[in-house]
Amino acid sequence: MKKFAISILVFWVLAVIVGKLFHLDPNQIDLNSILAPINTDYWLGTDDLGRDILARVLAGIQVSFFVAIIVTLITMVIGVLIGLFAGFYGGKVDAILMKITDIFLAFPGILLAIAFAAVLGAGLSNLILALCITGWVSYARLTRGQTLSLRNRQHVIAAESLGASVPRILIKHILPLLGSILMVEATYSLASVMIAEASLSFLGLGIQVPNASWGAMLRDGVRYMLVAPHYVLVVGLSLMSLILAVNLGGDCLRDKLDVRSEK
Amino acid sequence: MVLFAGCSQQNNDIETNFAISQAPLNLDPRYATDAASERVNRLIYQPLVDFDAASKPVPALANWALISSTQYQFTLQPNRAKFHHQAALTALDVKETYDSILRLKDSPHSAEFANIKKITLINKESILFELKQADNHFPSKLIIGILPADLLANNHDFSQHPIGSGALKFVDWDSKLVLERVKDSHIINLTEIKDPTVRVLKLLRGEVDLIQGDLPPELVKHLQNQPEINVKTTVGANFSYLGLNMQDATLQNIKVRQAIAYAIDREAIIRHVMVQNTLIASAILPPKHYTNMSNNQLKPYEYNPEKAKQLLHEAGIKLPLKLIYKTSTDAQRLRFAAILQAQMAKAGIDLQIKSLDWGTFFADVKKGNFQLFGLTWVGIKTPEIYAKAFGSSSFPPNGFNRGRYTDKALDSLLAKEDWPAATARIHQQLPYIPLWYEGQFAAMGKDTSNYAPKADGNWDDLAIITKSATKRSATIMHYAN
Repeated sequence: MKKFAISILVFWVLAVIVGKLFHLDPNQIDLNSILAPINTDYWLGTDDLGRDILARVLAGIQVSFFVAIIVTLITMVIGVLIGLFAGFYGGKVDAILMKITDIFLAFPGILLAIAFAAVLGAGLSNLILALCITGWVSYARLTRGQTLSLRNRQHVIAAESLGASVPRILIKHILPLLGSILMVEATYSLASVMIAEASLSFLGLGIQVPNASWGAMLRDGVRYMLVAPHYVLVVGLSLMSLILAVNLGGDCLRDKLDVRSEK
Repeated sequence: MVLFAGCSQQNNDIETNFAISQAPLNLDPRYATDAASERVNRLIYQPLVDFDAASKPVPALANWALISSTQYQFTLQPNRAKFHHQAALTALDVKETYDSILRLKDSPHSAEFANIKKITLINKESILFELKQADNHFPSKLIIGILPADLLANNHDFSQHPIGSGALKFVDWDSKLVLERVKDSHIINLTEIKDPTVRVLKLLRGEVDLIQGDLPPELVKHLQNQPEINVKTTVGANFSYLGLNMQDATLQNIKVRQAIAYAIDREAIIRHVMVQNTLIASAILPPKHYTNMSNNQLKPYEYNPEKAKQLLHEAGIKLPLKLIYKTSTDAQRLRFAAILQAQMAKAGIDLQIKSLDWGTFFADVKKGNFQLFGLTWVGIKTPEIYAKAFGSSSFPPNGFNRGRYTDKALDSLLAKEDWPAATARIHQQLPYIPLWYEGQFAAMGKDTSNYAPKADGNWDDLAIITKSATKRSATIMHYAN
């Protein structure tokens, strides 16, 4: 399973690199080749504007990776900071920060992102903002729980006794111990952000026309399922394989880093 | 199984199943504004006036006579139908219907009749409308279906349980709207199926007998290749256009507007991504409209990106010219947007597309918060649209002049009702960039007949549609296998 996940991820990374060498134009419209099936000119056929599906799939994965990495980094920083302070200080600070977190948790994440995207308007930056607004919650919860238990460890108490400042304790003595668990969370987050990005683009609230996005391509592909099934199949399988690979990669990482599951 | 499926079956209780993309919202003609409700209401109710093929107002339920410049007398046709609850339709019903619209504060149609001073009942057959100011187009406004006075007095809920005197009467409205044809009890079921692919599949499987409009052209071509399906198309009258903000400093320059018009290859768009019978447009009202008969047809702007570039240079614009185009998130609209963007790029115009959900998009259009937008006028019949869309006093909310266009010369032509000159002026000044009249189509099983699509997309032929008692079988066999 580990090999399967890694090989798919490597395949997509290579596809992006190799695709760049061919200088494929994902936005080149050819009205004479609308919904052309798979052929020697267009290896994965064309879409409803005669654009090369291969070029658009490769452009789509770049958008997908870009959004997923940026959103994961931003949400991780916000969530970890909130979790660290809540877990370290406890008391009222913890209560207030966790109440805010609970409010965000109470809403279905994707629904909140849709609402924000609708209010802010479509576009890459607004899409990232909408996903960030909802994505930090799981990091905050996770970090807070771990910090609560690490807070009373002897090395932390010793550092406090020696007069170490709070930022130093958090950064030098607590954060390094959270690294592995946050890394596993980040891989799952990558997959969920990719799905969320595709979902918002599917609804027309994500990446703007004519830029390629797998979600928008899926939406268009579904419209032509009867006359050009290759379109929706190519995009659907691409998205499925990438999400599966990222999730499996997360599982492998968890098994690797979890001492309890070590044989 | 194949043999069994291939046998003909006698169908004693014939029904026609019509799949529609959007269910009606309100079947009270005093409130209905959405296209589906208005199309159903045309079948359930009868108006005083209707329009002929050239969009001229013609008598429907009543003839009219101009008594003075502010007085119109309407006399009901002698052989008119009764209401569906068997009460006779009299002039009192007409008076009560229009009086109720004037009384209603929340009816979207009230403003249309604000010019009515008084409605007087002459006798059971005749009624007199007195106006505050002379209005030559008054009869063409009386297209609201007539409601029975006795039910109006009882505050009957027409929105959910409509009762009129039209060709179809209401039976039930739950998951589907069930209507019954008065003359032969033929049942017509209208079922909402939003997804175009599902509508097509249901038609192919024989679960649905009829679909009309709202399909990508590729699916229409797919249906045209199916032996069991009959696809009929006709030229449309619904006008698609690009709206321009005339308060934008760049777009105030007529050369920029002309450049945009020359930068669009309408022929290529129509040939590749529109349904059959789509025509290039030059004005809001189509060529067959009575106001265009003497106009020798306006010449559409041809596709000429070099000329567009030249005009932008003459206008002193530094290329590329950046413009923001707002549109809804509808897939077909986004498809047009991507094509327009690619075509305009060749003319030195960098069109940036901003797709918004319908509510936000339309609110922006009404507020004038746009540079360019794309929309379609649906079901426009009267030339008054020119004054409402381009008149200097028709800025929202008083009219539909969303681009805030002001032109004294045009105002004067509109006041004189010189439609050919006004149309030519609009065509030359380009407050809108005209695109096309989208073709209309209907697809039906081979066992369904007497139905044809209409230019404005109405469903009037449901009043005469027929279905043979022999069930379709070939496609069902195909899918069963």
